[in-house]
Amino acid sequence: MSEASRREVRAGLEPSLARLWRYALVLSKARDVADDLTQATCVRAIERADQFVPGTRVDRWLFAILRSIWLNEIRSRRIREGVGFVDAEDVLTTDGAREIETNITASAVLRAIDRLPEAQRETVLLVYGEGYSYAEAAAALGVPIGTIMSRLASGRAALAKLK
Amino acid sequence: MSDDDAQLVALIDKELDNSSRTALLARLAADELLRRRYEELRQTGEPLAASLDSLLEGAPLARLRAMIPTDKALRRPPRRFAGFAIRDLAAGLIVGALAAGAAIWAASTFGLVDGREDWRTAIAEYAHLYTNETFTPFNPDAAMQATELSAVGARVGAKLTPENVTLPGLRFTTAFMLSYDGAPLGVIAYVDPSGEPVLLCIIANDAPDATMRSKRRDDLSLAWWSRRGRSRLVIGRIPEEQAVAFARTLEKRI
Repeated sequence: MSEASRREVRAGLEPSLARLWRYALVLSKARDVADDLTQATCVRAIERADQFVPGTRVDRWLFAILRSIWLNEIRSRRIREGVGFVDAEDVLTTDGAREIETNITASAVLRAIDRLPEAQRETVLLVYGEGYSYAEAAAALGVPIGTIMSRLASGRAALAKLK
Repeated sequence: MSDDDAQLVALIDKELDNSSRTALLARLAADELLRRRYEELRQTGEPLAASLDSLLEGAPLARLRAMIPTDKALRRPPRRFAGFAIRDLAAGLIVGALAAGAAIWAASTFGLVDGREDWRTAIAEYAHLYTNETFTPFNPDAAMQATELSAVGARVGAKLTPENVTLPGLRFTTAFMLSYDGAPLGVIAYVDPSGEPVLLCIIANDAPDATMRSKRRDDLSLAWWSRRGRSRLVIGRIPEEQAVAFARTLEKRI
């Protein structure tokens, strides 16, 4: 294992924990799964730290690992086992009705995000929560930029209805 | 959602190329409805980012930090401990996602302990990793306490209740199952008022009866005894005499 890679991965893990967990929560809509997915991402990242290219962004690398585990292991296994995920509403919540603008609250926005399909939730998070450019999001998700555009527009259109 | 929405959102996000941007701006200048839609969509940006930020506040950071494995842990092959998978926990061995998270983390740590030494050594090794943040988030109500203790007690062959595991000055936080060398190992975790963990461990290892003994190991105190095929251990960063006092209290009740 390259020492530089290992050091950078180690150093990048803790500052990324909350954001990894948020990504896992947005994907899975289940807090226990988000905990497990975040832990699995940390374990995988440390195991494969030699694959990390020093000087590149650790957080983006961790996000890619998390997404891979989610798609290839957790979600696929649950679907295979017939468990699936309950399309629970209001999993994404915040404390109370903190007002963001004069006429809309964080919890109302989160409820609207909650109801978006997984692909839209994920795209909205990466672009508006994590600051991915459209091109970066397209590369991370393996879809054309036009798909990113339509997912974001759908997400924003759903929020616009709240007003 | 229309094609116009996608173009408008891309304009808001400064993601349109120059020619598309120029064309859309010309349309906006001439179309009031389109301008109104642009404004509706634009106004969603700030609430969206702020709401996503608010999710970060709910991240269970102490628990997540405790889940990060050490390099030393990963380098060693799994040895004598085995943890229960989360689906086993969900099947009824332990109820509660918090307990499951702790069990999985502790089990992953356990798996890496050198097998040359006994189970007390293994527990002492991972007890070193616990901090006053590890168990403080766990605060089950009475019903949950009874459920967790009953499930763990059933596995290790001991009657465990919130009443008979109570220790003075300590707060019960969680109980969970591990296994060591194939033997069921129950862990009951307490914290003192500063959050410092103290553990009661019970292992069904068919050990012969043994009177209580105690020792210091680094900054930890251990007090242990065996009866009826089960060994018990009290361990924590507490004075040795206090570990023995806790152990004597529990010896009479369990």
